Amino acid sequence: MSIIEEIRKNVFDGDENNTVELVKKALDAGKTAKEILDEGLVAGLRDCGDGFEKGEKFIPEMLLSSESMKVAMVVLKPLLLEGSGGSGGAGKAVLATVEGDVHDIGLELVGTMLETAGFEVRNMGPDVPTEDIVAAVKEDKPHIVGLSALLSNTMDVMPDVIDALADAGLRDSVKIMVGGAPVKQDFADEIGADGWAYDAASAVPKAKELRAQLSD
Amino acid sequence: MIYDMYGNTKEVTPYERMMAALNGEKADRVPVNFYPRWAALEYAGVTFKEAWDNPDLYVKAQIQAQERFQYDCVIDYDMMGPVEEAMGAKLKYPENDVPQIAEPLIKTKEDMKNVKWKLDPRKDGNMPKVLYVVRRLKEELIRRGRGTQHVPIITWGSCPSRTAACLTGFKEWFLIVARDPDWAVELMENALDGWLQMIIAAWEAGVDAVWINDPVSSRDCISRDHYEKLTQPYQRKFIEAIRRETGMKITFHPCGNWHDRMDLVYQNQADSYFLGPMDIEMCTRVAVETNEKGLSRVKSLNGNVGAATKSTTDGQTAVPYATTMKRGKPEDIEKEAKAVIETVEGADLRCILGTNCWDVKGSSFANRDAMVYAARKYGQYK
Repeated sequence: MSIIEEIRKNVFDGDENNTVELVKKALDAGKTAKEILDEGLVAGLRDCGDGFEKGEKFIPEMLLSSESMKVAMVVLKPLLLEGSGGSGGAGKAVLATVEGDVHDIGLELVGTMLETAGFEVRNMGPDVPTEDIVAAVKEDKPHIVGLSALLSNTMDVMPDVIDALADAGLRDSVKIMVGGAPVKQDFADEIGADGWAYDAASAVPKAKELRAQLSD
Repeated sequence: MIYDMYGNTKEVTPYERMMAALNGEKADRVPVNFYPRWAALEYAGVTFKEAWDNPDLYVKAQIQAQERFQYDCVIDYDMMGPVEEAMGAKLKYPENDVPQIAEPLIKTKEDMKNVKWKLDPRKDGNMPKVLYVVRRLKEELIRRGRGTQHVPIITWGSCPSRTAACLTGFKEWFLIVARDPDWAVELMENALDGWLQMIIAAWEAGVDAVWINDPVSSRDCISRDHYEKLTQPYQRKFIEAIRRETGMKITFHPCGNWHDRMDLVYQNQADSYFLGPMDIEMCTRVAVETNEKGLSRVKSLNGNVGAATKSTTDGQTAVPYATTMKRGKPEDIEKEAKAVIETVEGADLRCILGTNCWDVKGSSFANRDAMVYAARKYGQYK
């Protein structure tokens, strides 16, 4: 098993300490930060997400995998930011899990991935009241607003946020992305979101694509 | 007490109907309970916070809405909060929603020492306010029933796993489950008593039945193995303690998708199960099987209009909860209610018609009416 494959497996298994050690070893062995991120950490996390979809992994195991990625990112992030030309170059993003939903694993991962792709990210965390999201968009003037929900009953809050942004006259200045386990493309279309991504890794190209559609 | 309500049918009181169903017996027809918090508040035109600040207003809303919609119970505040707050947690009170934990009370094992685990519901925090509502509901129902309580009062309780998760924060709870199961057990062991005392006090104040729930042990959250070894034993312990101390009928609400573990759920020994968004045929079949093996004592199934269909419950939570009640039309309610009644009663379990989670804020009065109408139309016992 290659060292990258070992990283992938350790993220999948949620072994935080081993993952960090392996990342350091991989860097020493000449692997690039991008390679370790994409083929090791993200791939391991995606395997875990697939396991979640199949009912083989659950929230505790998902959390351990995401914790493994988080501690490994402490080592990788500075190197990735160097490569992306620094934080904020790709645009600004405000991320939040909607009100009533306390889940933030996916949100944190999307935040980390966007940061490493050069976005300046304001992660508002879980259970954020709609009015706070509107206030943050007013204040930060982001290009992307990312909304997350893990519960099928809280995904209904997403259209409220979109409406609130429209009422505040902010809808046309941002691109809104939605995501989370129960959220799918058809729901995104139904509520008038601009984009949906399957997972944290695919959120990055989608955010870049949407960012490019804005004039400034 | 039988009274002639609609000319062509003899109806018993909601109290008799509901208590019979919880006990596995047939009264006149299938009862309806969709845990009518929002139905009552919306009918009264008040927010949750207004009703929380004015318990008499809450009582009035509950009584008037039951009279208007004709479902088969009233409920007290029925919410997480009073116990956790009395334990030391800080709550936030949204304008029109139930309280939420503002920040986790327990971040480390050391924090366990700062929690007030032993509670007196008659004195601590806002627990006396809940008991006041129960007493007032009882008085008012007896007054309106001219000396007889004609509608049952149902209270709510939080399973130890849920309480523990509220105290630690949900994310930390799941990490504790993964990293330190012994600590998870210690948390549940400590968390059990507060809600038990609250339920005992509510029973002494006049409630007639209790429902409890656990939204953190579903297939959406933890593995079957974690459920079987960690949290199910504490559901069972909680249920046994409530039964021992009060003798009340107990309904358990498996909130979310529990498809792969309903056999274990039924073994927690509740009397009735308020089903989440799950296939009603599967839930009924497994209840009958576990009863036949002597592993469970399921008498009735409550739910689950707005529930998932087979095609959407293949192991994923693709079904928005209580979809039909919120977004459907009265004819959709009627159609699903008919299927639920036929499935559950067809297996000789008692059906209590309801939604598949708490009453849904913003559902139309027409849909709420349709559920009671469906119970009358399809749920008559010969």
